[in-house]
Amino acid sequence: MIHIDDLHKSFRTRGATVQAVRGVSFSARDGEILGLLGPNGAGKTTTLRMLYTLMAPEQGRVEVDGVDVQQHPTTVRQRLGVLPDARGIYKRLTARENIAYFGRLHDLDARTIDTRIAALADTLAMGDFLDRRAEGFSQGQRTKTAIARALVHNPRNVVLDEPTNGLDVMTTRRLRSFLRGLRDDGHCIVFSSHIMQEVAALCDRMVVMARGEVQAIGTPDTLRRQTGLDDLEDVFVRLAGLEESAA
Amino acid sequence: MRAIWTVASKELVDLFRDRKTVVLGLLLGPLLMPGIILGTGALVESKVRTQLESTLVLPVAGAGRAPNLVAFLESRNIEVVEAPENTVVAVREQVAPVVLHIAPDYAARWRDSLPAPVELTYDSSLQDAQIPLQRVHQVLREYSATVASLRALQRGQSPLSSQAVQVAWRDVATPEARRGMLLTFLPYLLILFSFIGSAALVIDVTAGERERQSLEPLLATPAARTAIMSGKILAACLFGMLGLLLIVLAFKVSFQLAPGPLQLVDVSLPVAAQLLLVLLPMVLIGTTLLTLIAAGARSVKEAQSYLSVLMLLPIAPTLILMVNPVKNQLWQFSVPFLAQNQMLLKLIRGEVISPAEWAVYMLCGFALGLFLWLLAARLYHRESLGVSG
Repeated sequence: MIHIDDLHKSFRTRGATVQAVRGVSFSARDGEILGLLGPNGAGKTTTLRMLYTLMAPEQGRVEVDGVDVQQHPTTVRQRLGVLPDARGIYKRLTARENIAYFGRLHDLDARTIDTRIAALADTLAMGDFLDRRAEGFSQGQRTKTAIARALVHNPRNVVLDEPTNGLDVMTTRRLRSFLRGLRDDGHCIVFSSHIMQEVAALCDRMVVMARGEVQAIGTPDTLRRQTGLDDLEDVFVRLAGLEESAA
Repeated sequence: MRAIWTVASKELVDLFRDRKTVVLGLLLGPLLMPGIILGTGALVESKVRTQLESTLVLPVAGAGRAPNLVAFLESRNIEVVEAPENTVVAVREQVAPVVLHIAPDYAARWRDSLPAPVELTYDSSLQDAQIPLQRVHQVLREYSATVASLRALQRGQSPLSSQAVQVAWRDVATPEARRGMLLTFLPYLLILFSFIGSAALVIDVTAGERERQSLEPLLATPAARTAIMSGKILAACLFGMLGLLLIVLAFKVSFQLAPGPLQLVDVSLPVAAQLLLVLLPMVLIGTTLLTLIAAGARSVKEAQSYLSVLMLLPIAPTLILMVNPVKNQLWQFSVPFLAQNQMLLKLIRGEVISPAEWAVYMLCGFALGLFLWLLAARLYHRESLGVSG
């Protein structure tokens, strides 16, 4: 379970202060897939970075399974599986070694790591490249390796930043069914995307973000009713307030 | 602790799969150093031998005024030739290393048994002129002494009466120390290699990883940032020490093959082990300092631009000692670079390092390493470290 309450974060760049996140609040329950939807620069990645302890919020708090992120960052990191926007696969290690490295950093023993890798490689269909060095991997192979690496310790909560970026249709489909499987096992999943269809196809609920703020929260149907629009893309454009900026 | 080793072993595996970097990093030093030793050794050796043994061509102005002196010079393997018009220019332009000028009143003063004036023109800033100058000077003194003795005998005096004081020379330098003089560049090379020998690796595992954006997922694992950093430092130290081990072994072999007096430098196994022990704190200092720089820099490029300055640091004590030689004192073993320089010189000169010197050296070296480690750890905890782009 992830609970985010009134997060604020700003950056200073060359004299100017940019308010990246302004009072963001939402919750993600166990057994639920929550989509974080917003245009580029909406503050999704910054929000997620505060969630997985890489950044400290200026204001507000984040709890993972009831544990405060600021006070017990290590406990929180043990309970989180994180796929950052930058995949950061080590290209001179094989996919298996990449995953095992993170397994060891999560303090897992060798046998557990082997079992987990076998299971993840099976669900993510990684068999043909598991023991190849990551140099020359396709985008999909890199993403799969990074996802397996993020989930090697079987975390209760999974945070994925733009997981389907650059993936082909079949890989995306397989990834979706994989995430649904995790949800059905009772995991709490938060994932971000800037593509409405992506979120609609997978999420139980969605949080629409724009300009560092939450614009709307609800199931796709609630949001349709709320805006009175039928097409999900129109719903997103309306909620994110993109019409004004485009006009 | 386990995380430190996990990170260190991953970094080493990652590094050793990058064959080219490893070959360049590990083998270039061990191959280059013997080249320098054997090469310069051979060069100096052959130069000295030619200058000492070959016929020295000496331009003499006014040779006609002193035929006996010219004959004496020629009997000592010095070929007398006509001097150029302008001797000063000729010497400055290195036409001849030294020019002898026989004064116009030479003959007159000679006949009156007064010191007959001759003049040697040379350039003291030219290393190359030292041996020819000394050869000519030596022959002139010999000639002067011989004639003086003959004159004394002629007058019925003992030739020894003109020698009021007899000077004897007693050099207390040990043979090892004398050879050590040939090796003043050796400490610099060893310190430089231990200081920034694994710079490429150190910068890559922090600034490089950040640039490749793989630091973000790494820092999202439960492993403590300090542990991750320590693992990277450990990997770089192990790699650095491996490189130094190869360099020291290469030294041992190349001194055995080197020509002349260098051949007598004995890098025995205990000496080699002590050399490595002396360099260990330097490896730690270099690695932690570079980690500090890499964690603070925005990019690999920025981190690398510090290298040219860092390369000059190890040479500083050598320069200071050259201008202002100071006696060996205990405080020197606490100053980084100077301390390494003194310790290495002592080892190469075959001198005993006292336990107090070892203690001060090791304590100060590791204390500085620890201090830099703490500073680097602070930088590693900065928010901006994990965030790239």
